[in-house]
Amino acid sequence: MTAISQQHYLTMKNSKATKVLGICHPKVRNHRRGTCPSFFRSDFGARGFFRRVCLTLLIILLLAVTTDSYSQEKYPNRPITIVAPFPPGGVADLTARPVAAAMEKVLKNPVVVVNKTGAAGAVGMASVANSKPDGYNLLMALSSISIIPEADKLFERKPAYTMDQLIPIGLISADPTIFVVSADRPWKSVKEFVDDAKKRPGQISYSSSGVYGTLHMAMEMLSHAGGVSLKHVPYAGAGPALTAILGGHVDTLASGPAVVIPHIKAGKLRPLAGWGAKRVASLPDVPTFKELGYDIEFYIWAGLFAPRGTPEPVMKSIRESVRQAVNTPEFKSAMEKLQTPIAYLDAPEFRKFWDKDAKMLAAAIKRVGKVEIPQAK
Amino acid sequence: MTETLQNLYVGFSVALAPSVLIYAFVGCVIGTLVGVLPGVGPLAGISLLLPVSFGLNATSAIVLLAGIYYGAMYGGSTTSILMRIPGEAASVMTCIDGYAMTRNGRAGPALAVAAVGSYVAGTISVVALMFLAPPLASFALRFGPPEYFTLLLLGLLALAYMSGGSMLKALAMAVLGLLFGMIGIDPMTGFSRFSFGLVELGDGIGVVPVAVGLFGLSEILLTAGQATAPEVIKPRLRELLPSRQEWRASLWPIGRGTVLGFLIGIIPGSAHIISSFVSYALERRISKHPQRFGQGAIEGVAGPESANNSATSGAFVPMLALGVPSGPIPAVMMAAMMVHGISPGPLLISQQPELFWGFIASMYVGNVVLLILNLPLVGIFVNLLRIPYPLLYPGILMFCVLGVYAVNGSVVDVGIMTVMGALGYLLRKFDFETAPVVLGLVLAPMMEMSFRQSLSMSSGSYSIFITRPIALALLTVGLALLLSSIITFAMRKADWRQRLGSAVAKQ
Repeated sequence: MTAISQQHYLTMKNSKATKVLGICHPKVRNHRRGTCPSFFRSDFGARGFFRRVCLTLLIILLLAVTTDSYSQEKYPNRPITIVAPFPPGGVADLTARPVAAAMEKVLKNPVVVVNKTGAAGAVGMASVANSKPDGYNLLMALSSISIIPEADKLFERKPAYTMDQLIPIGLISADPTIFVVSADRPWKSVKEFVDDAKKRPGQISYSSSGVYGTLHMAMEMLSHAGGVSLKHVPYAGAGPALTAILGGHVDTLASGPAVVIPHIKAGKLRPLAGWGAKRVASLPDVPTFKELGYDIEFYIWAGLFAPRGTPEPVMKSIRESVRQAVNTPEFKSAMEKLQTPIAYLDAPEFRKFWDKDAKMLAAAIKRVGKVEIPQAK
Repeated sequence: MTETLQNLYVGFSVALAPSVLIYAFVGCVIGTLVGVLPGVGPLAGISLLLPVSFGLNATSAIVLLAGIYYGAMYGGSTTSILMRIPGEAASVMTCIDGYAMTRNGRAGPALAVAAVGSYVAGTISVVALMFLAPPLASFALRFGPPEYFTLLLLGLLALAYMSGGSMLKALAMAVLGLLFGMIGIDPMTGFSRFSFGLVELGDGIGVVPVAVGLFGLSEILLTAGQATAPEVIKPRLRELLPSRQEWRASLWPIGRGTVLGFLIGIIPGSAHIISSFVSYALERRISKHPQRFGQGAIEGVAGPESANNSATSGAFVPMLALGVPSGPIPAVMMAAMMVHGISPGPLLISQQPELFWGFIASMYVGNVVLLILNLPLVGIFVNLLRIPYPLLYPGILMFCVLGVYAVNGSVVDVGIMTVMGALGYLLRKFDFETAPVVLGLVLAPMMEMSFRQSLSMSSGSYSIFITRPIALALLTVGLALLLSSIITFAMRKADWRQRLGSAVAKQ
């Protein structure tokens, strides 16, 4: 179609279309007046000019539309963008880059990571959710993708995006959070901790990456399952939350293994349990909450999403490329360096995982409700 | 001591290897450009170039990124001094006296003092980083929310010294800035405040678009509004370097700025931005001629510029010694290390001695590179002033828009800059100073967060601010400063009455 219409355009001055549409090249018009229909020929005023401009625009538009439908037949034929809704150096960014590099080799097509940050990731996620579903705008999202719409609901504000605007492509990594306490605190096990917390409710504190953030949610699940009430001190990000426990300003923290392991090795933090279904390979002595009888599971995960409405053949091609990409040695070694185990799940399984996770987070947010501000004494 | 020197020798052999040296140089050049470009600060520069560093080895990557960081701190002063446009947030204070010096035809000396001050501060603070990192780092971690809040309260006191005009107007502007700082999602409860449904305002409004608008755009608008075109200042060659008297005047401010900046820099968080504000206030407070500030006092350039540079090295202390991401920039640099399979942590120095000492040595080298790079550039930059305004100003406007847009790729930021430009124009027409607005905007989110975190920690009891020793000490210092000002104020009043009395008596 494109090829034809392009030719159309080139041969226009001699074709039937010229006569029918009344388009005359200025030079043609001067030399071969006879070929143009009379009602256009004599008319050099504003109306004729305007009409010509309109028609030219129409043809350009047609060309644009046809090129586009052509591009969908052969996906991909221009750079694909993966939006990381957090700044460079964050988990989303660090996961997106090796994925992009590996996909680029599989698809033999450029894959670019763009950091679109703001409002705890809402800006970037909303931008992909509202983008054109053509397979060229993908999103590397973290667990917080399920939290933001719930929080919007809680505060009755217009949601930045809804979860059904996005469809899962594949889960890349899922790290269970680890429950650590400051090494100079007395608790040696979860049982000791819970017993103590029951004795003095609201006195043992924990830091988090922010209110309704992933680290807050993990601790909320623990306090719900253990039937205890803890004191929450939110910080602006996982880094400051770590600094707070190292400085002794809070007692406990839940965070990813890669973040806490160096400080566990240095003897500053003591791990008590993990939120995973299985123990973390690098912390073989640390039990899971499930082993200890608490039915809670929580992961900080990173997964790839596309906007809803992306055509099925395109989705298939993206899924296939991701599946191949996560199995390349380059990708494996990149993730190993980040100390993040690959936990690849293809779209159907990822959908199940996501639904379960989102339900759990929604319940946790409802339990937290609107945060009460402590009253001054 | 000998061990340190031996390690440093190892470090220099790493840093002076051609492959590393070239990245130090490239980092410094990019950093200078990033600093000169209005709006794009060190964080944006490092973030944009982080993916590039993935292809290098770990040492080269860290050296490159660190070069960008302190290079941007050098370069940030250039546009502040020449055109009153803060290259990044820490250069806001340099705009005031630096630009005044340019209007007096002393742009060259201002730039030279800024470069030399940055060099001295950079080098001394690396020495401090080398010898004091481990003990200082554990001290820095003791800065929790209550300590942070009291420190920021001290920063707010700096306000008193920022304006030469009416105190009432300065306070009004600070309150305006504090209100601007309240925009965005409430960090403690998640409520949206004053965001008018704009998702982009969820994180609040950035310091950079506001600073570029209030300072840069308003200046351009004011100049355009003058009845007669201002004369183009043609710099003379022999006036490029500071006079002997100017050197002498900037010596102590550089020293004080270095110590102050380093100490504020090591504290985890974003407090390093206030180092230049506090330094400016300090210089003005102890100056014998405080009325010269705002009219082109060289101390007002030397102090803040040294402070923001040594704060850079200070920020590395907790990162290198403890593996703690002490602020947004160290966090990005730690990510760069993690990509190379190095886990930054308390064991970094012992496990990766080559990386650590190579990094330290490269900072010495980088500072020399920057000095060599920047002093000759003074001559070139000063000549930018020869460009006639009808060409210069549209060019600057374009770079402002470009720089502010590039940071987050956000059109909303450009909108904020434009609105702030118009606001700045009006405010300055009515003789309000705009620096307190920026200070308020910088302080408000940090103060609010730390204040409410403190109260969370204490379950709502205000006693937390006086039961913790560091917080109490800082509060006492603040109180003493406040009292001393009130006393001088009262004394001056007495003087005035006496003078009037004696004048009447004479008559």
